Amino acid sequence: MKKPSLIVTILIGIVISLSIIKAIVYNRLSTTGIFVGKVEEEINFYKTQNAILSEKLLTFSSLTNIAKRAEKEGFISEENSLMVLKTSKPLAVRP
Amino acid sequence: MKWRYPFVFITLVIFFILVMARLFYWQIVKAEELSLIAQSQYSGVIKVHPKRGEIKTSDGFPIAANKVSYLLYINPTEVKDKAKTINTLSALLNLSTASISSQLVPDRLWVPIKSGMIASQKEEIEKIKLPGVGFEERFSRFYPEASIAAHLVGFVGKNESGEDKGYFGLEGFYDRLLKGKEGYRIELHDALGRPILIKRNNNTKGSDGGSLLLSIDRSIQFLVEQKLIDGIEKYGALGGMVGIMAPNTGDIIAMSSMPSFAPGKYWEFDESLYKNPFITNTYEPGSTLKPIVMASSLDAGLITPQTKCPICGGPVAVSDYNLHTWNDKYYKDTNMVEIIQHSDNTGMVYVALKLGVDRMISYLTKFGIGESTDIDLQGETVPSLKQRRAWYDVDLATTGFGQGISVTPIELLAAFSTLANGGKLMQPRVVSAFENANGEVLKIPTKVKGTPISEKTAKVMTEMLVNAVEKGEAQWARLKGYRIAGKTGTASIPVKGHYDPNNTITSFIGFAPAEKPKFVMLIILDRPTSSIYAAETAAPMFFDIAKDILTYYGIPPGE
Repeated sequence: MKKPSLIVTILIGIVISLSIIKAIVYNRLSTTGIFVGKVEEEINFYKTQNAILSEKLLTFSSLTNIAKRAEKEGFISEENSLMVLKTSKPLAVRP
Repeated sequence: MKWRYPFVFITLVIFFILVMARLFYWQIVKAEELSLIAQSQYSGVIKVHPKRGEIKTSDGFPIAANKVSYLLYINPTEVKDKAKTINTLSALLNLSTASISSQLVPDRLWVPIKSGMIASQKEEIEKIKLPGVGFEERFSRFYPEASIAAHLVGFVGKNESGEDKGYFGLEGFYDRLLKGKEGYRIELHDALGRPILIKRNNNTKGSDGGSLLLSIDRSIQFLVEQKLIDGIEKYGALGGMVGIMAPNTGDIIAMSSMPSFAPGKYWEFDESLYKNPFITNTYEPGSTLKPIVMASSLDAGLITPQTKCPICGGPVAVSDYNLHTWNDKYYKDTNMVEIIQHSDNTGMVYVALKLGVDRMISYLTKFGIGESTDIDLQGETVPSLKQRRAWYDVDLATTGFGQGISVTPIELLAAFSTLANGGKLMQPRVVSAFENANGEVLKIPTKVKGTPISEKTAKVMTEMLVNAVEKGEAQWARLKGYRIAGKTGTASIPVKGHYDPNNTITSFIGFAPAEKPKFVMLIILDRPTSSIYAAETAAPMFFDIAKDILTYYGIPPGE
C-alpha cells in the first residue's frame, strides 16, 4: 500500500515543481521581451543608419559624381584652343 | 416550512442553469469572435516588406540600389490640435492645408500624407512632437549613377494596387526575382503594449529579392554615354545608339541610346523615351548588312575574295529598277574585296543574285535575322523576314546592300559578332550571374545559338573588313597602329513608299583587335545634319570610342 501513495506524492511533487519552474521562466521571459524589444529597436536603428550611409557612399563613389568633381577641379578633356596675342611685344622682355 | 428547502434548491438550480447557459453562449457560440477580439488586443500582424534586389555592374557597383525613405502618416483619432497639426505639416511638407485637412476623417486610424521623405526631413518633424503623426520606414529605389544605362535598367513604378513593380529593361524583365517575397510577422504584447518574447517570432516565410550581376562595364558605359552625347551634338543628329558586345560570350559590355530618361524621376519624362531603341527600333541596316551577305556567299562556296564582278561597270537593271552605287562611281571587273572596300551596291547585287532567294533566307535566318535574339531585356521587337513567296528579284538584289529589309540594332550586333567569333552566333545577354539574398552567386552559362558560317569564312571576311577600314571611305578616321575590322552603313529612310533624299541613318559596325576581338561595337546616328554619310559621322565616332576602349583594356598598338 505504500507504493501507490509514494507515486502519487512524487507526481504531485513533479506537477508543483514544474508549475513553479514554468512561473519563474515565464516571469523571466516576460521581462526579457522588453529587453529584446529594445535590442531589436537598436538593431533597426543601426540598420537604417547603415542604409543611409550606403546611399551616401554610392552617391559619392558614382562615376557621375566623380566626373563632376574632377571637372570642377580642372580635370577636363583636352580641347583645341587658339591663343591670340593682343600685343606686339615679345613674350619675354630682355632684362 | 417544508416548501423552503425545495424552493431554495430549485432557485439555485435555475441560477446554475442560467450561469451555464451564459457560459455556453460566451465560450461556445461566441468563442471564435471573442478569440479574434482578444488576439487583436494582444497581438499584431506586421507586414514585412522584402528589400528589392540590386542591379550591379561587372565591378560590383550597384547602379540600382535601395535607399531608406519614410512615409508620414496621421492617426486622426490621436490628433489633439487639428489646426496646429495641419498648419505645421503644410509648411514643412509644402502641401496645401486643404489636402491635409480633407484626409483627417475621424473614423480613420491611418492616413498616409507624404511618402519618399528623407531622414533629415523626418527628424525635423519628429522634433516638433505632433501627437498622432508617425512615420513608416520604407525602402525606395535609388539609382546612384542617375540616368546612366537608363534604357537597360528600366525603372520601378507602382502597379494598380499601389505596390512597387519594375517596368522596362532589367527592372521589368527580372521583376519577380528582384522584388522578393512579402512576409508577415505576428507580435504579442502585454496589456501595456510591451512586447512579449513568447511566440513573437511567429513569422511566415518571406525573402528579400535577388540581385543581378551584369556584364555591363560601368567605366565603358559611362564613356560611351559621354561620347554619344558629344557625337549627337557634334553631328547635329536627332538621336543615337551605341551597343558593345563581347563576341566570344555574347556579354553586352555597354548599351546606350539617346535621348534618354532618369529612372529615379521617370514621371518627368515622356513615355516614348522608356523603350530601349536598341532592342525595339527597326531600321534598314544599309551597307552594314553587306558583310553578312558577302560572308554567306563565301561560306556557300559561290564566290571567293578574288571573284570578279561582271556587272559592276554601271548601274544594274533588275525587274524594271535601275540600281546604282551610293556615289555613282563604278568599278569594272572589281573583285569581292574591293566591293566591300568601296561599299559597292552593284557588286552586292551580283553577290545576292548569285546566292539566290532560298539560300539568302536560310543564311539570314542562321545569322538570327528575323528571329528574336533572346536577350534578357523587356520588349525586344522581332521584325520577321518576308515570306518566301513575297521575295522578288529586286528584293533579293536590294537585300544584298541592306535595303528593303528591317532589323533591330541588337539583331545586327549579334549577327555581326559571328564574324568576330569564328562563325559562332552567341546569345546576347546583359545578366551574367544571379545573387540570392544570402549572397550565393549563380553564374549563367553562355549560349551558342548556332554556327552560320565556318571559321575559315569568318577569317576571310575579317580580312576583307580590315581592308575596308584601311582603304575605304572612312580610312581618314581609322586608328593608326590597330587592325580594326569594320563597315560603314548609310541607310535611307523609307517615307510613304519612297526614300527620304535628305535624311539618313548613319552607322558603323566593327570589332577590334581584328586578330583576337575583344569587343564588337555598333554606332547608329539618327538623321545627322553635318553630313548624311556614315564615313563622316558614325565612323569617326566609332574610332574615337574604340581608341579609349583599347586603352582601357590595355591593348597596345600592334603595327
